[in-house]
Amino acid sequence: MNSAAKITAANLSRRTLKDKLFKGLVLFLSLITISPIVLIIYKLVAKGYRQISLEFIIKTPPNTFEAMTALSNGELIPGGIANGITGTLLMVVLASVIAIPVGVITGIYLYENPGKPLANLTRNISDILQGVPSIVLGLIAYMWIVKPITSGFSALAGSVSLSIMMLPMIVRSTEETLKMIPQSIKEAAVALGVPYYKVILRVLIPTGFSGLLTGILLGISRILGETAPLMLTALGSSVINMDITKPTSAVPLLIWEFYNDPNMVDLIWSSSLLLMGMVLTLNLVSKRIAARTK
Amino acid sequence: MKNLALLILTVFILGACSNSSNKQGGEKAGTSKVTLTAAGATFPMPYYNMVFKNYTSEFGTLLTYGGIGSGGGIRSLTDKVVDFGATDAYLSDDKLAAMPAEVVHIPTVLGAVVIAYNLPGVDGLKLSNELLEKIFMGEITKWNDAAIKANNEGLALPDMEITFVHRSDGSGTTYIFSDYMTKISTKWADAVGTGKSLQWPVGMGAKGNPGVAGTISQTEGAIGYIGSEYAFAQKIQTALVQNSAGNYIEPSIASVSAAAKGEIPADTRIMLTNSADPESYPISGFTWIILYKEQNYDGRSKDQALATVTFLDWLVSADAQGQAEKVHYAPLPDAAAEKAKTILRSVTFDGLPLLK
Amino acid sequence: MNLGKLQAKQFSQLLNVHQMNSDKITKGVLLLSSFVILFVAGGMIFSLVEGAIPALKSFGLSFIWSNNWNPTEGKENYGALPFIAGTIITSVAALLISLPLSFSVSLFLGEYYRGTKIAKVLGTMVDLLAGIPSIVYGLWGFYVLRPLLIDLGLPNQGFGIFTASIILAIMIIPYATSLSNEIITMVPNELKEAAYSLGATRSEVIFSVVVPSARSGIIAGYILSFGRALGETMAVTMLIGNANIVPDGFFSTGNTMASVIANQFGEADGLKLSSLIAIGLLLFLLTGIINAIGKFIIKRMG
Repeated sequence: MNSAAKITAANLSRRTLKDKLFKGLVLFLSLITISPIVLIIYKLVAKGYRQISLEFIIKTPPNTFEAMTALSNGELIPGGIANGITGTLLMVVLASVIAIPVGVITGIYLYENPGKPLANLTRNISDILQGVPSIVLGLIAYMWIVKPITSGFSALAGSVSLSIMMLPMIVRSTEETLKMIPQSIKEAAVALGVPYYKVILRVLIPTGFSGLLTGILLGISRILGETAPLMLTALGSSVINMDITKPTSAVPLLIWEFYNDPNMVDLIWSSSLLLMGMVLTLNLVSKRIAARTK
Repeated sequence: MKNLALLILTVFILGACSNSSNKQGGEKAGTSKVTLTAAGATFPMPYYNMVFKNYTSEFGTLLTYGGIGSGGGIRSLTDKVVDFGATDAYLSDDKLAAMPAEVVHIPTVLGAVVIAYNLPGVDGLKLSNELLEKIFMGEITKWNDAAIKANNEGLALPDMEITFVHRSDGSGTTYIFSDYMTKISTKWADAVGTGKSLQWPVGMGAKGNPGVAGTISQTEGAIGYIGSEYAFAQKIQTALVQNSAGNYIEPSIASVSAAAKGEIPADTRIMLTNSADPESYPISGFTWIILYKEQNYDGRSKDQALATVTFLDWLVSADAQGQAEKVHYAPLPDAAAEKAKTILRSVTFDGLPLLK
Repeated sequence: MNLGKLQAKQFSQLLNVHQMNSDKITKGVLLLSSFVILFVAGGMIFSLVEGAIPALKSFGLSFIWSNNWNPTEGKENYGALPFIAGTIITSVAALLISLPLSFSVSLFLGEYYRGTKIAKVLGTMVDLLAGIPSIVYGLWGFYVLRPLLIDLGLPNQGFGIFTASIILAIMIIPYATSLSNEIITMVPNELKEAAYSLGATRSEVIFSVVVPSARSGIIAGYILSFGRALGETMAVTMLIGNANIVPDGFFSTGNTMASVIANQFGEADGLKLSSLIAIGLLLFLLTGIINAIGKFIIKRMG
C-alpha cells in the first residue's frame, strides 16, 4: 500500500474505534439510566400489587379505624380509590380540553412566525411557565376561580391549574415537531392553492402527529401525578363527584391523605401503581393511534 | 379521536352511576342534599375523616375535608369558600380582629405531642424539663451524658450522638411543642419562642409527621417530636415527660384528656400545655373548628347554616367523642364539651340563634 | 367568449377573496391563541406582585440577598438568598446529571435501536417515569436512595443538595428524552444516507447530520427539563434537609424556593405568606433569567 492509502486506512480504523467507543458509551449510559427506572417500578410493584383488585378501583377509601383494624388482623386494607380515579379522570380530561387546543394552536403560531417579537415573547413566557412551581399555579387558580367564580373549592379550579401546567410542553413539542417537517410538503400544498387552515389540518398536523402526541402525553403524565395545586383548588372528596363546581378528589390527593395517616401509608404504593397503570395505558393507546395515522 | 370519545363516555357513565348511588345514600336520611366543605389542620385529619364519614352515613349530609394546614383553613374561612375551618392554634386577638366578621372557636378533640426516640432496648426514658431544654438546644449531644444517666438509673445508655429531628413544614404540632418548651425553659423562650415554624438551634428537618417518624425510626440515636395519634398507631418509643406537678407521665388517652381538666375560658381559647392536673400529660392541646358567629353572609342559606351547626353539635357530643379513642385521639372532657355546646348556641342566622 | 372569460375571472376573484378571508381568520385564531398564554402569564405576575407587595415593602430589595429567615413571631425577618442558591445549585446539577443520560437514551431509541422491540420497551419505561407522582419520588428517595447514599458515606442522614439533585435528575429524564427522541426520528433519511454514502461512521453521522438537524428540538427538550427541575416541590422537600442556609458544599443540606413555598404555605399568613409569594415571583424572574442566559450561550455556540 502506498503512504496515502496507509494513512486513510489508519484513519479509518481510528474512526471505527471512536465509533465503537461512542456506541459503547451510549449503551453504558442508557443502562445507568434504566437502573433507577427499574428500581422504582420494582418497588412500586412489589409493595403495591397485593392491594390491586376490582374493589380497589370501585370502592372509596376506608377510614383510619378500618385500616387500623385490618392491619392489626394482618389483612389487606379494605376499600379503594374510586373517588380519586374518577376525579383524576374528570380533571385531566377537562384540563386537556382546555390545554390541547390552546397549546397546539400556539405552537403552530410560533412555527409560522419564527422571528417575530411577539412569537419570541410567547415562546419565552411559555418556557418560563414550565418552571413555575405547581403550588403557585394552585394559588393562582385559587385566586381566580375558587374565590370569584365557584365560591368554593372545585374541580374546575383544579382543571385550570392543571391545564396551565400542560401548556408549555404542548406548545414546545408542537413547534419543534412542525419545524422538522420538510418545507417541500408544506410548499406543495400552498402551491396548489389550499387554504391556510386546510394546510394546517390536512397536512401539518397529520404529518407531525406523532410529535404532537408526545408533547400531549408528557403533559398529561405530569398532571396525573400533581398534588400541590389540587390541594388549593379541588380540595378532595370522600365520595365520587362529577360536578365540576364542587370539590373533587384525585389520586395524588388521596396519596397525600394516605401519607399523613398513620394507618394507611401502605396504600400509597398501590395508588401510585394504579396511576402508573393509567400512564401506561395512555402511552400504549396513543402509540397505537400514532401508528395508524403514519 | 375515537378512543378519546370512548374515554369521555366512560367517565360520564361512571359519573351517572355514582350520582345515583349518592342519591341512595341521601334518601336514607330523608334530608335535602346539603354538602358541607371544610379545610384546615392535618393533625386531626385521620379522626375527622372517620367521624365525618360516619356522620354522612348516619345523617346523609355530605362532608368534605381538606387537610391543607391550619393557615389554609383560616384563609379559606376568611375567603368564605368553606363552611368552617380547622386550626391547631387558636386565633390570637389580632388575628381575630383581622377576620371579616366575628369568629368563634369550637374545640373538637385533644391530641398530644410525644417525644419519640430510637434507642433499641432502652425503654421508658425519663426526660426532665432541664434535660429537654439541654437536648433540644444542643447543649447535651450524647446519649450517655452524665445528666441523662443521672435521671435514668438502670437504663443502658449508649455512647451515641443525639440526632434531633424536627418538622420542616409549619405545623400545629410544632406550635404545641414550642409552647411547652417556652413555658418550661426561659432559655428556649428567649432564643426560640413559640410558633408553627421556628428558628431551630440544632437538628434537621423532615416533612410531616411521617417524615419525622420515618427519619427517627431509620436513625439510631435520633430524637424528635411527633403527633400522638401517629406515635400510638406506629408504636414508636416515647419518653416520659415531667408535668408541672413533678410527675413523670407517659402519653396516653387518659393523661392527655386530663390536661383539659382545669379551668377553660368561655371562648375555649387556651393552650393546655404544662397544665396543673397531676395526672396530665404536659404536651397536650385542643384542636379547634372556627366558623362565623353570624351565619348569614354571602347569600348563605339558612339550611346550610343549620346543617353546619347541627353537625358541629354532634361532633362535640358523646356519640362522636366516643369514637376518638379508637383512633388514638383523646375525647373532650365534659366541661370542655359543655362550653363548646354553649358557644354553638350563640351562633346566629340574622341575629337569631340556630340551635336551641 | 367574452362573457365566459368574465365569469371565470369573477369566479376566481371570488375564490381568492374567500381564501384570503379564511386565511385571515386562521391567522387571527393563531394570534389569539398565543395571546391566551401571554394573558395567563400576565395575570399570574399581577396576582403574585399583589401578594408580594407587603414583603417587598418591609424588606425592600435586600430581600433578594438577605440570608436571614426567621419566622419567630416578633422578630420576623425573611430573606430569599438561601433558597435562590439552593434552587440554582440543584437545578443546574440535575440538568448536568441528566443531560448525558437522556441524550444517550434518545440516541438509543431514535438511532441505534430504532423501531426494535427493546426500544419500544425502554421508551415506554422512560415515559412511565413522567407519570410517577412527585410525592412517590420523594418517598422512594427517602426509603431507597437515602439509605444507599448513607452506606456510601453521605453525611446528614443522606439528606441534602446531592440527594435532591439526583432525584431531580431522574424525574426530568423523560422530558428531554421523549422530545429529543421524536425529533431525532424526524431527521430526513436522505440527509443521513448522503453522509453514509460518503463513508461516515454511525457516530459521525450522528454528530454531523442528526444533531445539527435536530438541534432546536433537542435544546427545547432540555429547556423543558430544566424548567421542571426549577419548579419541583414535593420530592425535593422530602430529601433536601430543609435547612434555611446557603449551602456550603455539594453535600450539605439546604432548601429551594419551590420547596420552602410548599412546606410553609399551609401554615403561613401575614408577612410570611407575602414573603413566600415574593419568592414565587422571584422564581418566575429567575427562570426567565437563566433561560435567557442559556439561550444566549447556545446561540453563541451555534
